[in-house]
Amino acid sequence: MSENKKSFDIKKLFGNTRIIVLLVMMAFFTIMRPRFFTYGNFVNIMYAVTLIAIMICGAMFAVLLGGIDRTVSGNAALSGAIMCVLISQKFNYSNGGAIIAILIALGGGLLSGLFHGLIMSRFKIPAFLLTLSTNEVLYGIVQIITGNQLINNLNCELTNYIGSTRWLGIPVPVYVLLLCFIIGYIILNHTVYGRQIYSVGGNREASELSGIPTRRVIIIAYMMSGLMGALSGIMLSCQNQQASASQAKNYENNVLAAIVVGGVSSKGGSGTLQGAMLGALLIGVMENGLRLMGIPSIYHDLAKGIIIIFVLALDMMAIARRSGLARGIFSGRKKEKKEAVASE
Amino acid sequence: MSEVQRGEVLFEMKNIEKIFSHVHALDHVNFDVRKGEVHALLGENGAGKSTLIKILTGVYPKDGGQIFMEGKEVEINDRDDALALGIAVIFQELSLIPSLTVYQNIMLGKEEGKFGFVNARKEKKDIQDLIDRYGFPVTADATVETLSVAQKQMVEILKALSTNARIMIMDEPTASLSQRESEILYKIINQLRDQGVSIIYISHRLEEVFNLSDRITVLRDGKNAGEVEKEDIVPSEIVKMMIGKELSESTASRSLHESDTEVELEVKNLSRLGYYEDVSFKVHKGEVLVLTGLVGAGRTEVLRSIYGADPYDSGEIIFEGKVIKPRISDAVAKGFGLIPEDRRTQGFSPLLTVTRNVATTNYDKLAHGGFVNKKDEDELGKKAVEIVDLRPANPNVVVGNLSGGNQQKAVLGKWLTRDLKVILIDEPTVGIDIGAKDEIYEFVEDLAKQGVAVILVSSDIAEVLRVAHRIIVMREGKIIKEFKDGVATQEDILLASSGFTGDEKEVAHE
Repeated sequence: MSENKKSFDIKKLFGNTRIIVLLVMMAFFTIMRPRFFTYGNFVNIMYAVTLIAIMICGAMFAVLLGGIDRTVSGNAALSGAIMCVLISQKFNYSNGGAIIAILIALGGGLLSGLFHGLIMSRFKIPAFLLTLSTNEVLYGIVQIITGNQLINNLNCELTNYIGSTRWLGIPVPVYVLLLCFIIGYIILNHTVYGRQIYSVGGNREASELSGIPTRRVIIIAYMMSGLMGALSGIMLSCQNQQASASQAKNYENNVLAAIVVGGVSSKGGSGTLQGAMLGALLIGVMENGLRLMGIPSIYHDLAKGIIIIFVLALDMMAIARRSGLARGIFSGRKKEKKEAVASE
Repeated sequence: MSEVQRGEVLFEMKNIEKIFSHVHALDHVNFDVRKGEVHALLGENGAGKSTLIKILTGVYPKDGGQIFMEGKEVEINDRDDALALGIAVIFQELSLIPSLTVYQNIMLGKEEGKFGFVNARKEKKDIQDLIDRYGFPVTADATVETLSVAQKQMVEILKALSTNARIMIMDEPTASLSQRESEILYKIINQLRDQGVSIIYISHRLEEVFNLSDRITVLRDGKNAGEVEKEDIVPSEIVKMMIGKELSESTASRSLHESDTEVELEVKNLSRLGYYEDVSFKVHKGEVLVLTGLVGAGRTEVLRSIYGADPYDSGEIIFEGKVIKPRISDAVAKGFGLIPEDRRTQGFSPLLTVTRNVATTNYDKLAHGGFVNKKDEDELGKKAVEIVDLRPANPNVVVGNLSGGNQQKAVLGKWLTRDLKVILIDEPTVGIDIGAKDEIYEFVEDLAKQGVAVILVSSDIAEVLRVAHRIIVMREGKIIKEFKDGVATQEDILLASSGFTGDEKEVAHE
């Protein structure tokens, strides 16, 4: 029986259209530009994907609840600004000061998440509209904090270290991402809170009537999103050694695109973090490959859009095949047969 | 064409037959409508009322019989045919577009104008004239979303009038209206009748049917069970016609008695403004208390307040001798459970597996420092599947893919895996096939045997008589009758639900 289950899992893995799309894309880029398949280029891709992927580790929670959090970019900009302003103007570039600045910057993200969580758990506001407008508010605050000036030459040892060191040839932020992913994965798959996220996202009313503290679940989700946005902003500022008033702008589009491409239902209640990571990788690989092929950047958005539509269309077709009459007449019966065989 | 005079037969259906996969939904049914009368169509659920209406409006084709309009045989193949004959259905407010004005809604699909431009001023004036003719309390340029339910219904009626409808079909028109709004509707109905419009009226509220109707046709099991003129209406006779006499005693009545075990839950003078008022009752351990009455009587709201899902304004809820202020999470911890009214929207997460759904009520047992023990969780899923005898017997099936009856069993599984003290069950068998229904009744009986106090809300009289130890009838937010000792019959409950309590049974309306 356990063997049976394993073979089924492998089948599922290869049945995953995203992995196939990713492999095909990588093969294509490798054939066109052998330089694509090199260690140096993979590090480039990692750099590009890491910041988005850290944001996903938080924004994922909001999307699983059937919401959306467009403020990940605003939170990133805010935390970067807070950190840089504190380090350069208050703590005189000291390492101890940098730690405090980072903690305060993370606190800013948590606070922003708390605010959104409180509103989303109380009122029936479309998350899209709320976070669309509050993201503008966040960028407004960033402009005030930075005086709309670029804060650069962040001559601080610690932030330098985070931004430019490699351990075993891999940039430090990638390790941060790995940690975030592991924590996020454990929360979603092994904790009561993770179960409750899926339950509330699937049916809030039924969850409430089952005794799940739905409001708390929602508030924590948005706080996670705020925290991860802030963390991503800190990494960005460490890498660039600066904070600008438009830092991370429009990252949220890539974050949400990656989550959706990763197979997470935009209605909430289903999808995995590893899927969303795969989505981020897909977008990262594509952007990298297009650049390597020397396709002018003006075409990148067009290509990205087409690939996203393509992956989603594959999904829709799969769903259409599974639902409606087909489900009742064909696949349902097939499944029963399979089960019958398995039980024999 | 000779005009049909008032009181003469305008429309006639003869020997109508309809067969759905070997079941005679309508068996030689006769039904006619006179000009300018209110003709009520009565019958229990499944008696054939809606099938007849659907044939009349062209939704279903008939399998036999004839239809005559003004003495000439006609064919009604679709809604347009019905409209052309002057037959209109007054829908609930659903068919209106909320963001448009009254006149825009009425003119929808029949806008007049040149080159694609509409003459809004003329449309508005025409509709206002129509409104003034009937004196309805709405204006032509009000936006529909600002109107009350009753006003929206008037717009529906105006819509029908604007197509020169001669026969209007009203199906449960007062179901979502307040008492006062209903009174306004009754006035409008009388007015329409005086103008020569014929109305086919369908309602579960017998009282209003008796008051409004010029004639009543009763259907039962797809056959004509009787036709009564206004002068001959006797409520208890009509209820008998609806139920039929062939029913065996065992299913038509039930002997009840109040349990003498300890009181588990007591509700004292519970009130919530606009929903229910001064509701008091006790439930004993191991007792099945049924709250029945018509939809909208306030039963679901009482249940939800007891569970902490909705607030209440005054009164007390006493559990095991102590006054409690219920909150859902506390209630669940104390051993309460709720099987909600609409399982699709309230009962389960359709995307999750049976195991995960069952787990939602069991995290107090599954969690160890915030982490879920997967083994325990899987065990729980298996246990639930076993307890409720789920088909397929697989805890990893996504609940959204199960049949209605098995979805309800999955919801049951959420609670049967817990140690319950009080379970609140709301319309548990709506949309469920007969086999699964019986199983659910057995679960209810088992729970009671185990000492759980059960409060069950149901509108299905057969179900009430099947499971009840004691019956409380609610109407318009109040308890109007309790059956606790002796025998309760279908007839008793139907009459009480409709506002005829006990002694006045034989007294006809004023």
